[in-house]
Amino acid sequence: MAISDVKEYTHLTDEEVEQIGRELDAIRAEIEESRGADDAAYINRLITIQRSLAAAGRVVLMASAATGRGRKPAWAAGAGLLAVAKILENMEIGHNVMHGQWDWMNDPEIHSSNWEWDTAQPAEQWKHSHNYIHHQFTNVLGYDNDIGYGILRMAREQKWHPANLGQPVYNALLATLFEWGVALHDLDIERIRKGEKDPKEMKRQLRQILRKGRNQILKDYVVYPALSGKQWKSTLTANLTANIVRNLWAYVIIFCGHFPDGAMHFTEEEIEDETRSEWYLRQILGAANFEGGPLLHIMSGNLGFQIEHHLFPDLPSNRYAEISVRVRELCDKYDIPYTVGPLHKQYGQALRTIIKLSLPNRFTASDQPEPPTPARDRKRKSDDERPPRRRELGGWMRSAAS
Amino acid sequence: MDAERGVVSLRESRLSQVDRIHQVAWVTQCALSRICGGCAQSLGRPIAFVGTPEEVARNAFHLPPMHVECAEDLRRTPRADPSWQLTLTAGFEFVRPTREDADRRPTFQPNSLL
Repeated sequence: MAISDVKEYTHLTDEEVEQIGRELDAIRAEIEESRGADDAAYINRLITIQRSLAAAGRVVLMASAATGRGRKPAWAAGAGLLAVAKILENMEIGHNVMHGQWDWMNDPEIHSSNWEWDTAQPAEQWKHSHNYIHHQFTNVLGYDNDIGYGILRMAREQKWHPANLGQPVYNALLATLFEWGVALHDLDIERIRKGEKDPKEMKRQLRQILRKGRNQILKDYVVYPALSGKQWKSTLTANLTANIVRNLWAYVIIFCGHFPDGAMHFTEEEIEDETRSEWYLRQILGAANFEGGPLLHIMSGNLGFQIEHHLFPDLPSNRYAEISVRVRELCDKYDIPYTVGPLHKQYGQALRTIIKLSLPNRFTASDQPEPPTPARDRKRKSDDERPPRRRELGGWMRSAAS
Repeated sequence: MDAERGVVSLRESRLSQVDRIHQVAWVTQCALSRICGGCAQSLGRPIAFVGTPEEVARNAFHLPPMHVECAEDLRRTPRADPSWQLTLTAGFEFVRPTREDADRRPTFQPNSLL
């Protein structure tokens, strides 16, 4: 079975699939050619705003500690400003910078190679677990570790286990502690448990996580509270609140990207020998957008345009809105599903899936248009087990052999 | 190192992953994870690409992105293609092959040449 056999594609000829690819290539080329000063100004402006919000939050908290007046409103304002700053930093800045969306600017700071974000997961591990594993194997069961993050059963094709009964609780914990769940994501606990993880690599990753986690804890729960003197407790709780708000927001946005009804899952057979056009189509079918105004999209790291982000993960996020108009037209033209809805509806569907799939399939009905393939064990795979589409030897190896 | 010829042995270099630089899976992983194809560590800035004069002319490289030092070491290994040239960039596009491409390997297109 290939991806071209997936129900949503079967009305398309090979030539039409390739034509869709060419049209998406043309959109990509147009954005690349028009990328310039306005885009650079956007990201620079956004970083200035984010840093100003963070500084304002810190100042408000410290000032209220110093004067002792209006403590509660100041606490709320400080925590709110910090939460917004952390959300912007993680979603619209950090996530997108680490995709290389702004590398073309040749800015020494705003570059995928050296951006370290304000969350517990080390940037290097994020770039592996997200940029590579998730974006290359989007929604492929057994390959994309973002399908339930190793904690939740999010596809009917995943085997049910009695532990899944606790999903609503795990989900609430994951949402609240999201940055710590993400921090452990690239470790691949399942492979560690089965003794399949290279111990050297595991130790290296653990050291990175401990160092980053320690620095985050020191910053938010020791240094800034200490700078607030007697009111240290107020600053500490404000920082904790800001982190939890950011966690909850990031969790909701990320869960709306691939778990609403209509976002499909794929099997390893379906991505065999995938061409660029078929890869594009898998991104369209595997992702879901949500609607909203410009502020909502900026606060979501433009992941409300999840389909466009998956098609072009390294194009500047501020261009996704204009790209989405053309992608949607393309989907209409070729009668390809384009999953979109309001944020509350998309999250509601994801939450319903979490709750439904805590039970065995026989107790619930599928909400997906695609009939599920038979359940079987879909354990996480290591990088070596993930399929190369083709292994070949080039000039260097030929010269080596001679 | 053979100082006279400027040749670097693999043991002297950081090129722990050099045997994988032609594997599509590794090339893809390097591109998306933003790691060096030679040493598997996070890429720096600038990013180096090594390629034949044709690849340089077409601005489309097959070998994965590398640190400048790793790319230079790779060019000095005894097995290197003597025609290889070094290109530096701040960023690149990762381009997957289409059905029509005879060469089904992905390519890298530097987008901010230095």
